[in-house]
Amino acid sequence: MAMGDIAFLLLIFFVILARVRDDSHIQWKPADGTELVKPETMRVSVAIDRDNMTYLNGTLLSENADSAAIRAMLSSKLYNPNGAPGQRGLLGDLPPGRRTVLLKIHRDTPYRYFEPVIEAVSEAGGELHHVLEEKN
Amino acid sequence: MNIRRQSLLTEPPASATSDIAFILIIFFLVCASVEPEEGRQQVIPKNEKDEKKEKTKTINVDITPTDVIVNVPNSRDGRPVETYKREDPALHARLTAKLTGALVDRAGDEQRVVAVMCKDDSTPYYLWMDVTDAIEQAGGIITLVREEVVNVQ
Repeated sequence: MAMGDIAFLLLIFFVILARVRDDSHIQWKPADGTELVKPETMRVSVAIDRDNMTYLNGTLLSENADSAAIRAMLSSKLYNPNGAPGQRGLLGDLPPGRRTVLLKIHRDTPYRYFEPVIEAVSEAGGELHHVLEEKN
Repeated sequence: MNIRRQSLLTEPPASATSDIAFILIIFFLVCASVEPEEGRQQVIPKNEKDEKKEKTKTINVDITPTDVIVNVPNSRDGRPVETYKREDPALHARLTAKLTGALVDRAGDEQRVVAVMCKDDSTPYYLWMDVTDAIEQAGGIITLVREEVVNVQ
């Protein structure tokens, strides 16, 4: 019986772990692309859904923030140059080549919503990886 | 006479619990990894305020509400400014061809910079990706230029 309990606890552990970075609840449709590649790392993801809401690792940043506020929020969470080692943000202590940021942006998102995201990731030294759908 | 009836509500054996839980773990892990992640890498250098840059020689791509305008200073084909309709199905191919020709003589990274300015706030993401993909396929290095709004009182 103990085996069953252990397996059940493991199940709960994995489900919770998966939910922490899960962004499968976000409603979006990728843009088309060709010659697509897999990302090298998947540590950080930024998504913009059908309603132009911005998410960082599956968590909504703000419901009614303007583009400048979104840019500032993302920048501070991705890279904080004044932080202590280990507290420099999601990208802060990662070496170049492992600073990939997955961008899951709904195909019809207007420029005013995705431009602050691209700029914030670039300014933080992130390596952009646009998630796209293979064009037929 | 004893008739043995089989109960309809039989409890599953306790020894099977671990197997069920293990299969559930596999199920959730497989479900979690189905999310699409294939896409395209893009390098956009940090904005640097370098006054020494020769801005007059930089290739510019402007996205307006109706057109995509390419401006190539000192263009060799004699057509420094080319305008393409946003709805043109061959937009990607035309842009790639024009920019490949414009970048062929430019060797250094600084000369290969293509400044992208979006003059239409409602430009959809798919169009922006199409334009920037054409620039990268032609060998250009994308830099974003923001239109400054000046309030006159």
